[in-house]
Amino acid sequence: MSIYPIGECLPRKDGRAKVTGKSKFGADWNVTGQLYAAVLHSPHGHAKILSVDVSEAKKLPGVRAVLCGACCEVLYGHMLVDQPIFAVNKVRYYGEPVAAVAADDLRTAKEAVRLIKVEYEPLPLVDSIDDALSKKAMVHDDLMAYQALGGVSPVAGTNIVDTYTLKHGDIDEGFKQADVVVENEFYCAMGQHTPLETHVAIADADEHGCHVYTPAQSPFMIRGVLAKAFGYRVDRVRVTCTEIGGGFGCKVEARLEPIAIALSRAARKPVKIENDRGEEFESALCRGPVRFRMKTGATKDGKLVAQHMLIHWDTGAYTTFGPRINFNAGFGANGPYHIPNAFVDSYVVMTNKTLATAYRGFGITEVACAHETQMEALAEKLGMDSLEFRLKNVLRDGMESVTGEIVTSMGGAECLEKAAEGIGWKDKPRRWVTEDGKLRGKGLACYMKLTGTPSTTSAMLRVNDDGTVTLLEGSRELGQGVETALPQIAASVLGMNPERILMSPVDTAFTPYDKTTTASRSTFHGGNAVMLAAKEIIEKLKPLVAKKWKVDLASIVFKDGVFTSKNNNTLTLHMDDIGKSGIMKEEPPVLATGTYGTKALWDAPDKYHQSKRPAAFWMIGAQAAEVEIDPKTGTTKIIRMGAAHDVGKAINPDSCRQQIEGSLVMGVGNAIMEEMIYQDGVLVNGNLVDYKIPTSMDADFEMNIALVEKPDPEGPHGVKGIGEPGLAPTAPSIINAISAACEHRFTTMPVKPEDVLFRGE
Amino acid sequence: MTHKTIKATVNGEVYERTIPVCMTLAEFLREELGLTGTKIGCNEGECGACTVIISGKPMNSCLVLAVEADGAEVLTIEGVSQGEKLHPLQQAFLDAGAIQCGFCTPGMVLTAKALIEENPNPTEAEVRKGIEGNICRCTGYNRIIDAIMNEAERVRGDK
Ligand code: FES
Ligand code: FES
Repeated sequence: MSIYPIGECLPRKDGRAKVTGKSKFGADWNVTGQLYAAVLHSPHGHAKILSVDVSEAKKLPGVRAVLCGACCEVLYGHMLVDQPIFAVNKVRYYGEPVAAVAADDLRTAKEAVRLIKVEYEPLPLVDSIDDALSKKAMVHDDLMAYQALGGVSPVAGTNIVDTYTLKHGDIDEGFKQADVVVENEFYCAMGQHTPLETHVAIADADEHGCHVYTPAQSPFMIRGVLAKAFGYRVDRVRVTCTEIGGGFGCKVEARLEPIAIALSRAARKPVKIENDRGEEFESALCRGPVRFRMKTGATKDGKLVAQHMLIHWDTGAYTTFGPRINFNAGFGANGPYHIPNAFVDSYVVMTNKTLATAYRGFGITEVACAHETQMEALAEKLGMDSLEFRLKNVLRDGMESVTGEIVTSMGGAECLEKAAEGIGWKDKPRRWVTEDGKLRGKGLACYMKLTGTPSTTSAMLRVNDDGTVTLLEGSRELGQGVETALPQIAASVLGMNPERILMSPVDTAFTPYDKTTTASRSTFHGGNAVMLAAKEIIEKLKPLVAKKWKVDLASIVFKDGVFTSKNNNTLTLHMDDIGKSGIMKEEPPVLATGTYGTKALWDAPDKYHQSKRPAAFWMIGAQAAEVEIDPKTGTTKIIRMGAAHDVGKAINPDSCRQQIEGSLVMGVGNAIMEEMIYQDGVLVNGNLVDYKIPTSMDADFEMNIALVEKPDPEGPHGVKGIGEPGLAPTAPSIINAISAACEHRFTTMPVKPEDVLFRGE
Repeated sequence: MTHKTIKATVNGEVYERTIPVCMTLAEFLREELGLTGTKIGCNEGECGACTVIISGKPMNSCLVLAVEADGAEVLTIEGVSQGEKLHPLQQAFLDAGAIQCGFCTPGMVLTAKALIEENPNPTEAEVRKGIEGNICRCTGYNRIIDAIMNEAERVRGDK
């Protein structure tokens, strides 16, 4: 049974402002007296800086500050403090900021940048995972010299910045039991989040403190990084969040904020900085490449017995959140299966490329590519239908996962069935040829992902004079609908019209702390905090109601939004009428807080990442794809996709579906289109013509979406998460379908027309 | 830098400004007039976020020089709603759930508006093709197409 308005498809609260052009995104903000910044980027992937001459730039009228590595030796980082604001001594990736100018207007700033002269001496390029491992050159001379903030384990004398090992059961014994073993490699190319809004920041800073305006996904994390980098007291860093024009992970890290602060301090004026699309490609953030070597064994009746995964993530030239991806994806690297013996051996390496970070799922799409192509290969070898094979092995309640946890609330089997049903799986062969000679194939994939644990959040509810409620919580609206879902959760407790609850803009100056808007965590964590605060609001209103009615406080009962008195059944007051009732007049304001954290329920994983409870909750889902290949051109057309995700409980089912629809199309880009291409260390397709992301024409396929609801006992109303999951199985299901259609096992993401045409060559 | 004085009608208001000749219409709208509803996603004609309607035609305002708009009538997202009331097309976007982050929305709405004005009886394929130049990274497009089809139906009076 549902409680109103849980499960209601309420319209999004930010819709009106967005459809009228009133929403203010990063670039729409301006601060009186602001200067404009332009950046000089490295033209080399790896080179020594012999000299930087800024004298001409400084002379240009209207220029207020010029900075380069020599005059600004600040290092920053979220996990390892290894990143300079401007390259010091050497550049480590094409596009790395080398110097920057703040001037009265943007044209002057850009002109001044052209006057900066830099002499470089190229160094050997660490261009690939193998280059990094063979130590062809060192990206950093000494990784151990940097301050580690936790969650990162650099290996001295190497280009390896992090390692992760998961060990469950006995892998050698496991393979002894296997009747069939498949060994494969899979490589995911570098891709980009490509939100429509590029990075932008305004900073007004001095040595005392700073005020930053930015479309940040994780304002409190960025606050911490900035405070540390510049030696500010945390409370003197104010991050005012603008609307975000798409994030998908790339607006988690501090990127332009440090540059803006450094320039603002030097010029003693506010500074605005905005990436153009080219800068966004070459120097913002990306999804790093990753290579898998997988070995999986099963018995002849189709039971998985062992899986070994060797993983190398390429995080680019600085550490960023690479180790976090390694960690999160490591737990999910074996997929949602019962595998008694599993081993994950995973590394993060550094190369001379732009920086990798979280990309809608912290590596979960990539690991799903690895384990799901394996499942397909095993099923084929066993002569089994791959849906049946997966159903035979998928984790069900009470089973032990590869992390050593006895899992509960597992909707995996149902998701697989429903996703397959979405394309009519059972009525179709694995591949067939259409009358006009096109190749059709079907493919399936599933995934399992944890949410970052432990983590914390807090919420505040304020009852206004007119009885409306203002909700303060730090989750950022990225388009996923959190500004609508959290008020829905508040309304479910307060029993009031959700229309009358609004979420405040987020600003670290007054919003209560929230760790981050990532990992599909907001509805779960924020929702729990909001529920606690809402319950407290009721308790705080009760005495006011009692006072007004002149009855005993103990007689006041609250149910479904209505206060009544056990002593007098003619007295009732609905939450929507609290303002009018006058009970709050001249009383101390009614406000309440709720705080929530998952540390208490978390069991810290051991060195082999075994834990009774490594995560507050797991997300699980599946997708099936039917594709059509034109054998003459090698192009892939998606015909239909079935998607089923266990959301725990859909607070706003329409929002959940929207997340999945958007993910499906983004996943098509991942699967068959998108790849950042470097040649000799230089990004050669850093624009929207050469780096193609899906347009409306690429989205012309049938989508059959099912929401599975296996409530999570810890989630508010049973909620899990759905912001990232839709993307995880999309690319692997499409790639499996292409492989089926072509009778050829593709082992890369993306699979482009040329890969199809020249397969096997 | 050479400057020129232009007179343009934007959302029914006449503006006279002296501006650098290299200024784009997108910059003119955003910086000179403070109409920041027009978004810049690429500044090179590749994403459609900056779409406005110039004398009835949808154009990427990042590719048009402000001086070219001299004497023209420009409609931006700020001029689409009728006072306090949303334009039915805007309502159609809301009703269809065609908005997520909202960054592409202003450009999408203007492209859609021009499309329906030119062809109030479009097929789904025509609508799909019509918004091909407007990139949306969030929604997967189909709800945007639904919104436009619904609005076209309303304009035709079928609904
Ligand atoms: S900003 Fe004009 S087309 Fe992208
Ligand atoms: S809604 Fe985000 S780009 Fe379209």
